[in-house]
Amino acid sequence: MLDNNSSHQLSYSPVQRRITVWYAALIFVSLVFVVRLFYLQVIRHDYYAKAALSGQLKEYELEPERGLIMAHAGEDTLPIVLNEIKYTLFADPKFITEPEKVAGELQGIIGGDKSFYESQMRQDSRYAILAKKLNDDQKQKIEALKEKGIGLREQPYRTYPQGGLAAQVLGFVNDEGVGSYGIEEALHEELKGKPGQLKAITDAAGVPLVSNDDNIIKPAEKGKKVLMTLDVSIQKQLEDILKTGLENAKSTSGSALIMDPNTGAIKAMANFPSYNPAEFFKVEDAGLFTNAAVSAPLEVGSIMKVLTTAAALNQGVVNRNTSYYDPSRFSIDGYDITNIEEDGGAGTRSVADILQLSLNTGATWLLMQMGGGEINDKARQAWYDYMKNHYRLGQRTGIEQGYEADGLIPDPKEGFGLNLQYANTSFGQGMSATITQMAAALSSVVNGGIYYQPRLVESLIDSNGQTQEMSPKVLNDKVVTPEVSQTMVELMEYVVEKNHRTYGLSSLRPGYAIGGKTGTAEISKPEGGYYEDRFNGTFMGFVGGDKPQYVIAVRVNEPKIPGYAGSKAAGPIFSNLATMLIDNVGVTPKTGN
Amino acid sequence: MLGIGLLAVGLVVVYAISPGLSIQKSVGENYFVGKQAIAIGLGVAAFLVTAHLPVTWWRRLEKPLLLTAGVSAIAVRLFGTEINGAYRWIQVGGLSFQAAELIKFALLVWLAGFLTDRIRLQQVNNYQLTFKPLLYALLAIAFVVGVVQSDLGSTGVMLAVMAAMILIAGLPLKRIMLIGGLVVFAVIILISSSSYRRSRLSVYLNPSQDCQDAGYQACQALITVGSGGLFGMGLGRGVQAYGYLPEAANDSIFAIFAEKFGFIGTTLLIGAFGALFARLKRIIERAPDMYSRLLATGILAWLSTQTIINVGAMIGLLPLKGITLPFISYGGTSIIFVCAAIGVVFQISRYTTYGSIASETTRTSYANDNTNRRRLRGAYHPNPGSRR
Repeated sequence: MLDNNSSHQLSYSPVQRRITVWYAALIFVSLVFVVRLFYLQVIRHDYYAKAALSGQLKEYELEPERGLIMAHAGEDTLPIVLNEIKYTLFADPKFITEPEKVAGELQGIIGGDKSFYESQMRQDSRYAILAKKLNDDQKQKIEALKEKGIGLREQPYRTYPQGGLAAQVLGFVNDEGVGSYGIEEALHEELKGKPGQLKAITDAAGVPLVSNDDNIIKPAEKGKKVLMTLDVSIQKQLEDILKTGLENAKSTSGSALIMDPNTGAIKAMANFPSYNPAEFFKVEDAGLFTNAAVSAPLEVGSIMKVLTTAAALNQGVVNRNTSYYDPSRFSIDGYDITNIEEDGGAGTRSVADILQLSLNTGATWLLMQMGGGEINDKARQAWYDYMKNHYRLGQRTGIEQGYEADGLIPDPKEGFGLNLQYANTSFGQGMSATITQMAAALSSVVNGGIYYQPRLVESLIDSNGQTQEMSPKVLNDKVVTPEVSQTMVELMEYVVEKNHRTYGLSSLRPGYAIGGKTGTAEISKPEGGYYEDRFNGTFMGFVGGDKPQYVIAVRVNEPKIPGYAGSKAAGPIFSNLATMLIDNVGVTPKTGN
Repeated sequence: MLGIGLLAVGLVVVYAISPGLSIQKSVGENYFVGKQAIAIGLGVAAFLVTAHLPVTWWRRLEKPLLLTAGVSAIAVRLFGTEINGAYRWIQVGGLSFQAAELIKFALLVWLAGFLTDRIRLQQVNNYQLTFKPLLYALLAIAFVVGVVQSDLGSTGVMLAVMAAMILIAGLPLKRIMLIGGLVVFAVIILISSSSYRRSRLSVYLNPSQDCQDAGYQACQALITVGSGGLFGMGLGRGVQAYGYLPEAANDSIFAIFAEKFGFIGTTLLIGAFGALFARLKRIIERAPDMYSRLLATGILAWLSTQTIINVGAMIGLLPLKGITLPFISYGGTSIIFVCAAIGVVFQISRYTTYGSIASETTRTSYANDNTNRRRLRGAYHPNPGSRR
């Protein structure tokens, strides 16, 4: 076929030599390669194997899922704080070649400011956050861009299906994943769970290769689920009633709570104004975060007379039928203690009158009885013992909330003008307490004499479904005797019976027991003394049948309507809460009804 | 044939690292194996065609081939996909086509014809007729492949192909060296003109200086090769293909092979390439005519240079170049053209001469300076062909 021209056959020619040299060079290079491979793969193997492993073996902390927060909804429970995975979009500017194009693509998906993305991507850093809280849909679209140098990181966020409900009781989780304020702070350790560990050979992106046997995986332990004592329905209604009541009283802030006096369980607790926990970062005034019902003590005013009366009855220095002559003015340490104008002047008064007419002189008289007729060391010691050890004022209740306040009760031995100070405390001035402390103390007075620690957590449920019940905790079972307790219930019912119209309760509810006491507290000036025209209104009372079933405490800060703050501002809120409990929640009526 | 064995090795390696690759590209697990199998199928088809195509046909195909190569060189610049500042691929349907492969093939076919003509006309020493066109060709290649496509690796391969072919064609050594000097000068200019080449070169000279950025691939290649050890980690065990080593299936496949099969595997692989090249060398020596010999020379130069550049880069002896490992690397264009080239050689080998050729007198110029001394030495070192 082809002309087999012998001239093209190779003799031992220069060309043959060239081929041989060329081929020898090839062989030589191959040998060099083999030697080099021997060096790399055999001699230096350990070094490179280690280098490979150090790149491939990664240790991660697996973030645990934070525990959910549940609340009652009548017979059921439902979640009020959930977790949602969102995504933080970040850029590694080093790998971004066309910031303008990428910024445009991102804007097309997540909106926002293109020039901001672009400037972030031009930063001289390796990590620039472009956007937060992106949803799954946006994440997938961004991933589909397959742009180099941008990445998405999972970030769990708390979500609130009930919106701002009980916001200050719940608190929030800050950007570092730490519970702040409220139950999130108080139960952070339980809620946060235990981080897991992952030691694994991964691909370059850090995704573990399942095929490897050397992987060590210790899964993260979910945080405990918290079932709160709160009832969503009662809480909602309380928040509405509080808000309306404050508006009606022309007040800008206030608090209210409903508690089960027989267990210490808080059924509802709210303050106004509040905030939206999902947008906690928009709140400028950090004061909004605190749950004033547990963190803001006040001079409680005349509601204290309930506790003074119970203490005097329990000490046996008076009984419910005791009458005394009330001069309507006591002079103590050079200061006069007087009553409100409507006290009816000097005259013979009963113990019930002290509460019904809210007599400051009556409360002072009760304190005198503790000292055998005058305010002295014995009286102060006795009353201090009740405030401190029976009613547990001046110390934290231990409710599961961040930033709980102690409140203040004056020392019975040390100080200036102790007798006047103590006379003042008998009607709720010169001392301070939170409405939670007051509600817990009142509960112990009306429930037969048992002080239950107020609480917001009913149970903790761990990741295995094991439930840890938080049973009611008795801190003092002899606050008052059951007889005194019964007397106090009746006296407080009597107060409401006499004054219910003033509290905005047009008619009493047959078959139900409603008792309460108002307080109109003077506000102390920072420099000492009291403002003449500024008051806080307080109210505490109970609703029940044969025995109190709910204790209610209300606080209205500086209402601007005529009349006494306690009865005109706080009273209607109490009345509406009591009516709501009877009508919408259910209170067992007295037997025989 | 050895080629088939090497193709199989490539497919197996691509199969083994396919899951790792597919995660990064988010395609199905067998996407890469499938495409590679198709490429091999097309390669075998190309082989079957070229193996049955008479060698003389290539002379007729010279012009169409050159034309297609020229068009694809322009097309790749106009419509091609840009990767790292280089235009190398052009999308044809679902397949990407690497123009440089075609240009290499066209070049060696043209050069074989051109040199054969010069030899036949005894113009090999003629500066005007032989060296000038070669220099122009050189400039054209350097410009199209080196500058326009920014593919210095392929340029290097083409230069090696040219060098080997003119060497075997018997051109005077002095002139070849002169051209070689010019080429070295041009390469220096090209390297200093591109920042990414500068960084690659400085990484090559000092590999540990920057394992994170410019030196990342070089470092990872060494780590991958080194972690293979004596016996290798085994087919399913390597990890470096999972995103650590860039271009794991293409340019870096030798390192992946080394990781999986160890020193024994790499030695055997280099041995296999060596055996293939020995076979090609023998075909060159026994080629029935100058044209066939030059074709085979070009093919050997092409395959061997690519192998050396590729493996050399993976073991840290040469700077990194975007060059595939013949037969093994993932990539359709490379496989198809390599198979076609092997087909050409196969066709040539059918006509190799088996008789003793050492004593024949020659008429061609290159043989003119044969001396008795050389012939004598030839007797002590018989031509390998004479043993058959």
